[in-house]
Amino acid sequence: MDRTLMVYFLKRLDWWLLAALLVLVVLGVLFVYSASYRGEGIPVNTDYRKQIVWAILGIGVFLIVALIDYHWLGRCSWLLYGCALLLLLLVLVIGETRSGATRWISLPWFDIQPSEIAKLGTLLALARFLSLSSTDSRRLYVVALAGVIAAVPFFLIFIEPDLGTAAVLIPLTACLLFVAGVPLRILCCLGVLGLLALPLGYQVLDDYQQHRIDVFLNIDSDPLVYGWTKQQSLIAVGSGGLTGKGYLAGTQNVLGFLPRSVADNDFIYSVIAEETGFVGAALVLALYAAILLCAFRAALVSRDKLGRLLSVGVATIIFSHVFVNIAMTIGMMPITGLPLPLVSYGGSFMVVTMCGLGIVQSVYVRRAQR
Amino acid sequence: MIGSRREKVASDVVRARALLALMLLAFGVLIVSLYNIQVASTSKYEIALDRQSMRWIRMPGMRGQILDRNGKIFADNRPSYNVAIFLEELRLVKAKVSETFEKLRPVVGYPATAGEKEVNDHVLNLKPLPLMAWRDLDEAALARFAEQCSMFSGVDIQVEAVREYPQGALASHVIGYVGRTNMLHDAQRPFHFYTDEMIGKSGIERRFDDVLRGQAGGRLMRVDVEGFHREDIVVELPKPGSDVQLAIDVTIQQAVEEELQDAVGSAVIVDPRNGDILAMASSPSFDPNIIVPFITTESWNVILQNPDHPLLNRAIQGSYTPGSIVKPIVALAGLENGKLDPGHVVHCPGYFMLGSHKFGCWLTYGHGDMNLANAIQSSCNVYFFTAGLAMGEEYIVHMAHAVGLGRQAGIEIGGERAGLVPDAAWKRERLDESWWDGDTCNLSIGQGPITVTPLQMALVTAAIANGGTLYRPRLVQGIRAPGGQTFSEQPATVANRLDWSDASLGIVRQAMLNTVMSARGTGRNAAVPGVAIAGKTGTAEFGPKALGKKRGWMIAFAPFDEPRYAVAMVLDHAATGGGADVGPRLQRIFGKLFQVTVSEAPPEAGHG
Repeated sequence: MDRTLMVYFLKRLDWWLLAALLVLVVLGVLFVYSASYRGEGIPVNTDYRKQIVWAILGIGVFLIVALIDYHWLGRCSWLLYGCALLLLLLVLVIGETRSGATRWISLPWFDIQPSEIAKLGTLLALARFLSLSSTDSRRLYVVALAGVIAAVPFFLIFIEPDLGTAAVLIPLTACLLFVAGVPLRILCCLGVLGLLALPLGYQVLDDYQQHRIDVFLNIDSDPLVYGWTKQQSLIAVGSGGLTGKGYLAGTQNVLGFLPRSVADNDFIYSVIAEETGFVGAALVLALYAAILLCAFRAALVSRDKLGRLLSVGVATIIFSHVFVNIAMTIGMMPITGLPLPLVSYGGSFMVVTMCGLGIVQSVYVRRAQR
Repeated sequence: MIGSRREKVASDVVRARALLALMLLAFGVLIVSLYNIQVASTSKYEIALDRQSMRWIRMPGMRGQILDRNGKIFADNRPSYNVAIFLEELRLVKAKVSETFEKLRPVVGYPATAGEKEVNDHVLNLKPLPLMAWRDLDEAALARFAEQCSMFSGVDIQVEAVREYPQGALASHVIGYVGRTNMLHDAQRPFHFYTDEMIGKSGIERRFDDVLRGQAGGRLMRVDVEGFHREDIVVELPKPGSDVQLAIDVTIQQAVEEELQDAVGSAVIVDPRNGDILAMASSPSFDPNIIVPFITTESWNVILQNPDHPLLNRAIQGSYTPGSIVKPIVALAGLENGKLDPGHVVHCPGYFMLGSHKFGCWLTYGHGDMNLANAIQSSCNVYFFTAGLAMGEEYIVHMAHAVGLGRQAGIEIGGERAGLVPDAAWKRERLDESWWDGDTCNLSIGQGPITVTPLQMALVTAAIANGGTLYRPRLVQGIRAPGGQTFSEQPATVANRLDWSDASLGIVRQAMLNTVMSARGTGRNAAVPGVAIAGKTGTAEFGPKALGKKRGWMIAFAPFDEPRYAVAMVLDHAATGGGADVGPRLQRIFGKLFQVTVSEAPPEAGHG
């Protein structure tokens, strides 16, 4: 890339998106550290260092993807989608099973979670399919084909099982179909059909899967684990008050009432809310709102449908995670293992989110001239 | 076509905007919920947080001292060095506790004092507190442990205050002892944990527990999810207790206890000028140091199974038939009511016939002609039978009540027996029999159902000595607040003022003086050269007549003109009687009180 192109790129970059993203990543590292803090003089585990590495890697991925023309990504979408499906199949064969779920492929220096990659793969495939000039989104078969594209990874992730991640594919598909212009009456019918199909699908499942869904739907069915965590998370959030207890001073986490296995990933928002109070918790939510606004702005100024759908898709994935995670933290929703984008400890999802935001940036940089 | 395409794009834009609006609305819902939880109901969650992670621990205050009237220490605190295991540092579960015990065992050199049950209870219920594995290390073990203690993490020496009684068994019935408790519930503040605390179980320790114990402090600590101690939030230091000063004089108490060492009995010395208890002894006694801080079941059984009941404080809990020591009271009853002419002479042939019933005098061949003074000095029963019948039992009962017999004297340590002064009403109610002259005869010489305590008799003696003031016993002389210099004086209180005329009291006192000082007096064995001592002996029969069991009594006061000591002493099993068995003991006690060396002359046989 020559110098003028670089200047052009930098001039058109969405600095707001970059800023919000950087602040969230920094907050993430700080609170992963805080979540593993046990008190003065007690060694902190090294998760936060890994998180720094993942954050730097993620920012790198973000910048590289931003430079790539998303049309090229569109053209590769079937390949990427296919690779994601292959990885999902692979994880079922060689994946590592932890607490009953086979979600990870162990590599020598880190683990990857193919279901995270599959989210992007599915997004790319759907966006590409729905934006093809030959696709008329008012046709029912188009909707059916889109459904098949989403259903395959959904099924593969579902049987891992990783219901939370699989479930994210549902709003993703729905929002893409909505923005792609599928008539509202078809979408409504699909919604109703989906609701009716739920009990049917439930019957098909094995007992242990049914149990998981029971737990998913109703925390009381496993009160010892989920009820406890929910209660402790609520106490942490509630006792944070308006301005919080101060960094590293959240007692719920330090004393171990908030289970340590989840404090730095699924329940990191609980740590943030306890230590920074309502002010900090609202600020984090505002940063996500800023990211959503940036993504939708990219969608609105996009020069074509592919860019619009990609941006809306990324926004939907981020929104789904943020909403479900925070609602779970404050006891509004059952506990599912959905991490908080950019903040929760974890590498695959960090890189995938950065990649998605890179696509949004790529769309924004190549926006229509007005 | 182009138009429709534009329309399409426009519809995409509208839909995207609608979607964004929906997402932001959802975020708005989250913000409102967060506000409700974090700002509107903070206190609810703060309370829940504190409830699960805050613990109040009660910390006992240091017990005050118990001192004698000259500041000699009866009860004190000494440091006890304990091996404490801090569970939060070791993160120990029960199995690992015993492992640590095994490792420490060779260092200390003897098995842990904490039993298996105590350890289990502690790990279950008292996790944030250190576990005292070995209490009260001896010096050698302490030295060994101090050398090697750096090898063990989470194990340290902790110092605890333990009650100690430097005077040993001296006045143990008065001082009492303490016992461990861990359940002192505080109505004002519900504590989560109670550390071992000492409360008084008997004597002064028990009755003055509130004064001695001080004010407990508290420690507010944070515990983690497993219940281990994390940090202290607030430490409220306990306030030490007040010191209690007794009227007892260690030197006098020692003198008295020495005279009771080989016998079962009791003695009380009262200051006739104010009712101060200078000595109160009961034999056999016990050493409270073997009860505190803990006593083995065997040692406890040894005490409980002793037929002479060492825990019994005979000075206030022994009901004794008084025998002839009531004669001065009978005499005063007659004189004060004009029913007894001190010059009137009664002939004693050695017995007294009441109808067909024969009441004997102790001198079987008879005292001959007796006036009141002689009758007291020689303790003639026949004279008192006659005098008693002449005045009637009501005057005797009235006077006995007036000098405090038949009711508790009101000593601070409580637990007193009232004794008994029988009268017609009592006999009718108790035995459904009417009073007859034989009862009056018995009452006149202190036999029959009448019982008294040594304390009561010491107070009566003091009243005769001081001219008719019956004091309430004063055992506690003062109380000193922690850190204070002076004791707040407890005022002497008068129980009753007896308006005895100088004439009547003079006759009785003179007769009592003669009892000790005259060569023919029954109390002559108690005489000390150079000291005017007045007294009265008594020998009371008890139990089946055939066994011939006798209590030996003597009451005395000295010096005669300005009395400073009033004594009552009783022996449960007297070989001969008050004069022979108690007299010499009192002589030695008076010898020490007045610093007169008394030559050890064999006691003369005689009756009281």
